[in-house]
Amino acid sequence: MPTTAAQLGTKSAALERKVRTGRVGLKRWLGPDYRLGFLFVLPIVVLVLALVAYPFGYAVYLSMTRKYVGLPPVFVGFENYVKLTFDGFFQRAVVNSFVFTFGSVGVKLLLGMGMALVLTSQIRFRSFWTGVLLIPWVAPTVVSALNFLWIYDGSLGVLNYLLVKVFRILPQGVGWLSEAGTAMASVIAVNVWRGFPFFGISFLAGMKAIPGELYEAAAVDGATAVQRFRHVTMPGIRNIVIIVMLLSTIWTFNDFAIVYILTKGGPGGTTMVLPVFTYEMAFGAQRLGEAIAAALYMLPPLAFVIIVLARHMRRGRAK
Amino acid sequence: MVRGGGRRSQATAGRLQSAVSYAVLLTLLLIVIFPFYWMTITSFKSEDQMRSLVSMFWPSPVVDENYRQLLGKTDFVAWFKNSIIVAFTSTFLATAIGTIGAYALARLRFLGRAFMASAVLITYLVPPSILFIPLYAQIRNLSLADTLTGLIVAYPSFTVPFVTWLLMGYFESIPEELEESAMIDGATRFGAFYRIVLPLAAPGLLAAALYAFTQAWNEFLYALVFITDVKLRTLPVGLSSFITGDVYGWGYLMAGAVLTTLPVIAAYMYLQKYMVEGLTAGSVKG
Repeated sequence: MPTTAAQLGTKSAALERKVRTGRVGLKRWLGPDYRLGFLFVLPIVVLVLALVAYPFGYAVYLSMTRKYVGLPPVFVGFENYVKLTFDGFFQRAVVNSFVFTFGSVGVKLLLGMGMALVLTSQIRFRSFWTGVLLIPWVAPTVVSALNFLWIYDGSLGVLNYLLVKVFRILPQGVGWLSEAGTAMASVIAVNVWRGFPFFGISFLAGMKAIPGELYEAAAVDGATAVQRFRHVTMPGIRNIVIIVMLLSTIWTFNDFAIVYILTKGGPGGTTMVLPVFTYEMAFGAQRLGEAIAAALYMLPPLAFVIIVLARHMRRGRAK
Repeated sequence: MVRGGGRRSQATAGRLQSAVSYAVLLTLLLIVIFPFYWMTITSFKSEDQMRSLVSMFWPSPVVDENYRQLLGKTDFVAWFKNSIIVAFTSTFLATAIGTIGAYALARLRFLGRAFMASAVLITYLVPPSILFIPLYAQIRNLSLADTLTGLIVAYPSFTVPFVTWLLMGYFESIPEELEESAMIDGATRFGAFYRIVLPLAAPGLLAAALYAFTQAWNEFLYALVFITDVKLRTLPVGLSSFITGDVYGWGYLMAGAVLTTLPVIAAYMYLQKYMVEGLTAGSVKG
């Protein structure tokens, strides 16, 4: 029996229906936009797997091995972590990292708040000043560190010149980076200099989002400037303050360039922080297993901070 | 009378407040600008002047020998080229991957979207100081150690998550109805993205690309670890290697610092509005 055109037509229609229901089923499972969605997200998936997830897993493994550059790793379990726990240099690096981080974040918070308050007050050319004050944040960290290395220089540096010759505050120059008493404060100052504009600009964005009526209402009720700051400004920017402080805590705790360029952890280990310790262990002492264990040692608190922060950032977006 | 007195005291308070504001502003500006000022004048000072501590705050005479030495006797020009190659390539990659990824994560509905959105944010927050050793091992296994390609491959690990996160915010702020009406008029999903959403998100794309460029241009740790060949260094590593040599001439070091800072500052000044908006949209938005 010859197949007629009509029969062919119904056949292909049935086929089409079948294909379509199949696609509907897929769509129900994978979402209505799954084809373009998967295609668009694929590069990121590959990237996250290859450049973050895999190296991270490999790092966890290597931290449990005895690994020297060029030799195969030997599995040793938690030996590296145990060794580090009782290593005086490592303990000092942990303490230094906390001092460096909390010192920096605290001062950045104060300066950033000052910057934001000034930039919301009645002054001329506000947006121009905002732009200028943000420059340390965009300038290369290495350049800033080198600038301060030169400014701090013990014999020819301008800081000593200003304090000794111009303002006559000090009788003689100080080796800001070479003396144990001043080195930590000096490296913190550079981290603060680079980081406070980010605090300022973020707080400023938060303050601008607070409705003006709230301030007017507070003023009508007779609130002083301090009261308005405490009861209107602070609650309004609370979420941003939390986000910025947590972000900066992560960044500062892991800041390598500033300390590496200014002191390399010296003098006598007084500014040795964990990232520099890790680097020296890996590429100075060539002990990769221990180096990675040192890098991962603070992972539990870091993971906690990251999870809390990610929640706040997503909530900030959802609003 | 009484009211007049109140107004006068109010005016005095206002004046006091603005005086305090200007004083704080001036202090902050001095702190921020001085290191750049100092870097610039140092680069024009002669060796003799620096040693003798005379005319500290202005070069006398103004000399260009530091720049000549930097460009003629060091590898600075090669480093500059390397930085340009690495920064431009990784900016292009990050912006392309980040744009389509952010659009998918912000708009399209598919299985695993929420999970990937969280993964991107967490990746953005994981610091390089944890990843640099295993990444180096991986780059070496791929025989990409000591090549610019190695850096170009590694830099998206921090630029892409940032760009994606920033642009997700931008795409979410564009009303969905615009795409829907385009699709009712017969546009495909891709067409709606390409013709409607992308042009509207152009300022965001610009900000994202600029930040990716700045991050890649400024990156130090990976470049320090992955590259050993002096000629293949990028600017930050090259500049910092001036201080580990036996003699460090502050003059040409600062000349190099000036030339390294110029591209990012120039881009920033020119496109400041977008960058300030992008920064506050990207990392914090409350």
